[in-house]
Amino acid sequence: MPQRILVVDDEAHILQVLSLKLRNAGYEVLTAVDGEEALEYATRQTIDVVISDYQMPYMTGLDLCRALARNPATANVPVLLLTARGHTLDPEDLTLRNIRDVLSKPFSPRAVVDLVQRLLDGAAGGASPRVRSEVA
Amino acid sequence: MKAGKISSLLLVLLITALATVVRVFLMDAQSDLDASVVSQAVGFASVVAGASFIVLAPVGIAIDRAIANLRRGIEGASDANTPVFSPGMRLMRPVARAFTATVDVFRQREQSLRSQLSDLEIRHRVSEAERRQIEAVLHALRDAVIVTDAFNEIVMANQAAANILGFDRKTSIHKPIDEVISDTTLCTLIRDARDTANFTDTRHVEHTVSDPKAKPGRAQAGQGAAGTVYDVTLACVENHKREVAGVVTILHDLTRERELSQMKSDFVSKASHELRTPLSSIRAYVEMLVDGEATDEGARHEFYRIMQNETERLSRLIDNMLNISRIEAGIVQIDRENVDIKALVARAAHTIEPQAREKRITLHQRMADVDLTVEGDADMLYQVVLNLMSNSVKYTPEGGRVTVAADSDNLTRSVLVSVSDTGLGIPPDALPRLFDKFFRVENYKRVAKGTGLGLSLCKHIVETVHHGQIGVDSKLGMGSKFWFSVPMTYAGARAAA
Repeated sequence: MPQRILVVDDEAHILQVLSLKLRNAGYEVLTAVDGEEALEYATRQTIDVVISDYQMPYMTGLDLCRALARNPATANVPVLLLTARGHTLDPEDLTLRNIRDVLSKPFSPRAVVDLVQRLLDGAAGGASPRVRSEVA
Repeated sequence: MKAGKISSLLLVLLITALATVVRVFLMDAQSDLDASVVSQAVGFASVVAGASFIVLAPVGIAIDRAIANLRRGIEGASDANTPVFSPGMRLMRPVARAFTATVDVFRQREQSLRSQLSDLEIRHRVSEAERRQIEAVLHALRDAVIVTDAFNEIVMANQAAANILGFDRKTSIHKPIDEVISDTTLCTLIRDARDTANFTDTRHVEHTVSDPKAKPGRAQAGQGAAGTVYDVTLACVENHKREVAGVVTILHDLTRERELSQMKSDFVSKASHELRTPLSSIRAYVEMLVDGEATDEGARHEFYRIMQNETERLSRLIDNMLNISRIEAGIVQIDRENVDIKALVARAAHTIEPQAREKRITLHQRMADVDLTVEGDADMLYQVVLNLMSNSVKYTPEGGRVTVAADSDNLTRSVLVSVSDTGLGIPPDALPRLFDKFFRVENYKRVAKGTGLGLSLCKHIVETVHHGQIGVDSKLGMGSKFWFSVPMTYAGARAAA
């Protein structure tokens, strides 16, 4: 059974390009246009990785991470954040356990697929890539 | 008086001579001397007395005169314009000369003292004028300035200091800082600066001063954070003996600088986000094409179309940003000419028509039957009308109506253009920020794409370039009416500004 990736972004083009890239890489992809929709998907079915934009209306990517972390069913789902805000993100905000990596926009779809692959391998091996990169 | 004394002396001499004669006569009478001896003695004494009188009287008179002259001379010496005196007698000349010399010395001293005095008076007036000037400068400053002496007593404080720290300026002079300034931290800073006596470096400290008008009870109730942040500059002043003469303390309000810096970083952050978003799409789709992820011609065509749209979005964004910046910096090229607003609206309506037709939105034009010509930049005004109409079409659901109207206002000598729609309307909380850079109504981000700069640019064109006014009336769910007015003549525009 293919692993399921949830992509969250308010930009339709980004959803479209990431879905295609991930599907071509053999994953099953769900898309959501905001945090609320994403939470609904995440609580209803098993998600292996969440890729979320940071700046979205109603609920930011960070809010989504917090909400996922609060729910025991989704607390362990690794999240990959995409941000167009450059270096203006407060590192303090990124200490949430489920945030495994942050990618700056404009991003390379290739790099996203690589990261997803690493996240899933890491989860299988019991250690997150974030932890590994800290050790290294 | 002195002449009188000389005469008295002569009289005493005469009496003494007579007394001697009488005494000799009496002694002789007792010792039985004969009368001739007595008469001889009397005669001799009389001759002596007479001779003495004849010889000494003119001498006495001359001495009297000389002394009188001397007296007049001395008395007149206080008047610098009269010569000291002409010596009346040879005998007195050395005295007169010595006295004249002494008086001359004193007169010279007096002269130099007088010139020193007037010099000092001039210097005093100059320094007084300078002091007033410096005080005027200090009082005109918005920064608080407090000058304290070596005993930490206030020498000078300007009105800003009194206002910021909440004390009475006039009664503060020569009082210890602790009695005048309630801000204990500031008092400690001033005392420390005085004690460290560092003349080479000025010290800068960031310090929050709570509002002196705020009730102390409220400040204690956890509202101490409310206050104004100041940059406190402390400079030690030294006297001629290289000792501490006092401390100059300056409080500079950092609020405006903080706001500007915050605005700048907000702008950079928002601009960066807005620029990165279309760029992300372009980069991602280019990579997809390079990696051969688009399997068929249809998908490839779709990718090209998205890349083209996003590229256009990016260049529109950059154009808007640059135009706003140019207007803000006052370096925009403005071509003022007579602009026919009716023709301009018709042209914009023609451009918007296909978009409106796509959504089955009817476009109405209601032009007043009067001349609607304004002096302005045709291209810029066209951009405003096109932008407002494009927004209306974007945020009006299918089958709606957009009405553009133009009329003249003779009272203000301006032309008023409005664009009304039957669209979504704008939430009241969004209205005040609608014309801000990069502001977008959260709920509508998905309704239509935008840079968040269109209305900000319109506001700049109408208000900064044309000295007009722009605004919006809107009710949520009932549609919006955007309007702007531009003065008919540039002279009128400038007069109104």
